[in-house]
Amino acid sequence: MSARAEAAPLREAGGLRSMADFYLTTMRLAVQEQFQYRTANYFYMFGMIAEPVIYLVVWTTIADQQGGSVQGLSAGYFAAYYIVWTLVRNMNIVFGAPFWEHRIREGDLNKDLLRPMLPLHYDIAYFAGWKVVVIVLWIPLAIGLSLVFDPLLDPRPLEIAVFAVAIWGAYLIRTMFQESLGMLCFWTTRGAAIFDLWMTTELLLSGRLVPLPLMPDWVQEVSRFLPFQWAFFFPIESLVGDLSNEELIRGLGIQLLWTLIGLAIFRIAWKHAVKRYSAVGG
Amino acid sequence: MNELQYRVNFVVQLFQSAIALVVGLLVLALVYSHTDELNGWSEAELLCVLGIQILMGGAIRTYIQPNMMRLIDDVREGKLDYALTKPEDSQLLVSVREVRIWQVVDLISGTVVLAVGLSRITTDVGILDALAFGAALVFGAVMIYCFWLVIATGAFWIVNMWHAVELFDGIFQTGRWPVGIYPGWLRYSVTFLVPIAFAVTVPAQAVTSRLQWQTLALAALFAVVLLGFTRWFWRFGLRNYTGASA
Amino acid sequence: MTGAAVHVAELEKVFDVPEREGGLRAAAKGLVRRRTREVRAVDGVSFGIEPGEIVGFLGPNGAGKTTTLKMLSGLLYPTGGEARVLGHVPSKREKAFLRRITLVMGNRNQLQWDLPALDSFELNRAIYRIPREAFVPTRDELIELLEVGDLVRKPVRQLSLGERMKVEIVGSLLHQPQVLFLDEPTIGLDVTMQKRIRSFVAEYNRRHGATVLLTSHYMADVQALCKRVIVIHHGSILFDGPLAGLADQFAAWKTIGVALENGQIDLGRYGEVLHRDGDWVTLRVPKAETSLVAARLLAEQSVLDLTIEEPPIEDVIELVFAQERAP
Repeated sequence: MSARAEAAPLREAGGLRSMADFYLTTMRLAVQEQFQYRTANYFYMFGMIAEPVIYLVVWTTIADQQGGSVQGLSAGYFAAYYIVWTLVRNMNIVFGAPFWEHRIREGDLNKDLLRPMLPLHYDIAYFAGWKVVVIVLWIPLAIGLSLVFDPLLDPRPLEIAVFAVAIWGAYLIRTMFQESLGMLCFWTTRGAAIFDLWMTTELLLSGRLVPLPLMPDWVQEVSRFLPFQWAFFFPIESLVGDLSNEELIRGLGIQLLWTLIGLAIFRIAWKHAVKRYSAVGG
Repeated sequence: MNELQYRVNFVVQLFQSAIALVVGLLVLALVYSHTDELNGWSEAELLCVLGIQILMGGAIRTYIQPNMMRLIDDVREGKLDYALTKPEDSQLLVSVREVRIWQVVDLISGTVVLAVGLSRITTDVGILDALAFGAALVFGAVMIYCFWLVIATGAFWIVNMWHAVELFDGIFQTGRWPVGIYPGWLRYSVTFLVPIAFAVTVPAQAVTSRLQWQTLALAALFAVVLLGFTRWFWRFGLRNYTGASA
Repeated sequence: MTGAAVHVAELEKVFDVPEREGGLRAAAKGLVRRRTREVRAVDGVSFGIEPGEIVGFLGPNGAGKTTTLKMLSGLLYPTGGEARVLGHVPSKREKAFLRRITLVMGNRNQLQWDLPALDSFELNRAIYRIPREAFVPTRDELIELLEVGDLVRKPVRQLSLGERMKVEIVGSLLHQPQVLFLDEPTIGLDVTMQKRIRSFVAEYNRRHGATVLLTSHYMADVQALCKRVIVIHHGSILFDGPLAGLADQFAAWKTIGVALENGQIDLGRYGEVLHRDGDWVTLRVPKAETSLVAARLLAEQSVLDLTIEEPPIEDVIELVFAQERAP
């Protein structure tokens, strides 16, 4: 039996298949765990609808005051926009930068560093599983809001398909950039200020505040070169707005592009972060 | 808390308040780039509303919320008994023992915004309006205090009241806009269920000379009723709590 | 595979710890100019471990044991010297390396908190890419060895500290690592649980020939498991050899206990009198003279009973720790 010590390391299953196996296993775990917390999850989602409902009411009021629409956008559009907003907002919640500080401080990072795998995979997979639970919990919420606010929603099949993919694209983009931002925690404990600035810029440029066409032209121009709107405005607009087939597909492509850019940034930042952590200790 | 921590908290609060204020102003500007008035309120008047909302938020987070959150924690961890053995009235004690002084930043910035808004209003603010404003603020603050204490008292029965805190912050945002724009059911909720309208809109109405005396009278009445109910509910919860613990 | 499982040469870890005095003025000064102090957590340590050995690292808190282990598992970069584990350089953190080792830290959770341990085992299976045919028997064997069959279906948060430690160990061995780093595995556990875990490690080593590096400040852990012990203090190795040799090097004496008919007799000329309890006297005697003194006692005194004992290991260890440098 002691010959095992000299035996070759365990034969591994193929790379891609193992990854898929890992993702599915982790997602399943996340669904199980988060389902246990469904009340807490519901409370959180419920508390979150105050923001979009307020905006919804403000803009529909303006629309009504001005004979039905603001800059071509009808009250029904605003209702649809902000209801779909609630789902996209939830898909945007990822393992954020502030959590990294907690992870480092609590010594959990050691456990992740011992695994033969980038912690990023675990974060993505776990939160993806969580999002599945969130989506299921969201549906009754959406129905309730629709009954109250009368949205204008009549999507084509392609729009629905693109939306279903785009919300995950949004999730990935946000994950990449937030994880990259979180790397700052390895160098400073005062990262909170930078996160706040980032979040505020994101708030203003992503379409979270208002549909982008309502922003001044120069803001829309700037936003086009940043990832924010592709994680927020685009998914909503794909379902609620009137984008052409070409624009829909192109949007998905841009989402992919931003995801890859974010991933590249993360990998570089992570390499430096691990070096720093291993020099200074946990 | 030592001196350095106080300073850090102040700086952090300044930063966060500054950002929040800028965002608030930007939203206002954005809304008014598409319209001249919202539900009869002009931009300057809505600036006053914003100022009052920030001011009131600062007051809540300085004096009310810290006490209520500590109360919820104490109940959950069984530490409330210390407060109950003191000679002072328990309700008074749990309501005033905590202060988060750095939140005062919002009190100041809110007042500044209000002043700027007032300076741009066309109608003059008379003595009567100012008095009504002061009274409305007091009534509103009292009602928010009562609301919070009732929620915190709920912690005697429901262990997980923390979610309530998060919910409140979100709902309090409704105070940024005149309560008249909200559909009926929502309007009544943020008036009588969570008395935000009384805390923000009514004082704003006073200061923009559109307050009707009936509304102010209702505010006074409601404040008194709420105080009474809150007192009763607190004693009720306390009896329950002390009866249950060994 | 021939060659050492672990090879360490002049390994060093130096930390730059910021010097901080109290008060506001010092804090402000600290913003401009950082004064740092060098802490040599591990100061030129060398040793080699053969495959299948169980080696104990003994040392008080802060001696450098955990730091050494972290360097060997890739969590910390050494500031000097060289380390190789199974032929890999740990700080490179190659995937192949990480799949062949495991680090278990006492009092730390690596399993999912709210789910049964079985689910966490599945996760580890996926992370380490363990083929099903190998995973199931390994898992079942470990569960049986540690007797946790009825515990693995309960959420981990419902388990006691000792039970949690056992399922943690199962989870950490599923990928059949060839080197086990155990950092204070019995800390905070009750005596029965400590014994259980010790016997498990011994059995595991016997069955699978895995190399084990164990740190502890419990003497009993080391005594039960390790033929070889490395004593570390202030970042340096004070002793590296068989446990029995520890006493020889640091405490070359034995204790003789005699029960006399007349307990009042002064035995000072036989050796140092440690203790007198009625008719029972305890003497400390240089190791080399033990038999001689014992013989004299038996011949010259009316002895009812006589025992000879090794110095208690705890005392030896205290002596060792009291030293600042190796002799």
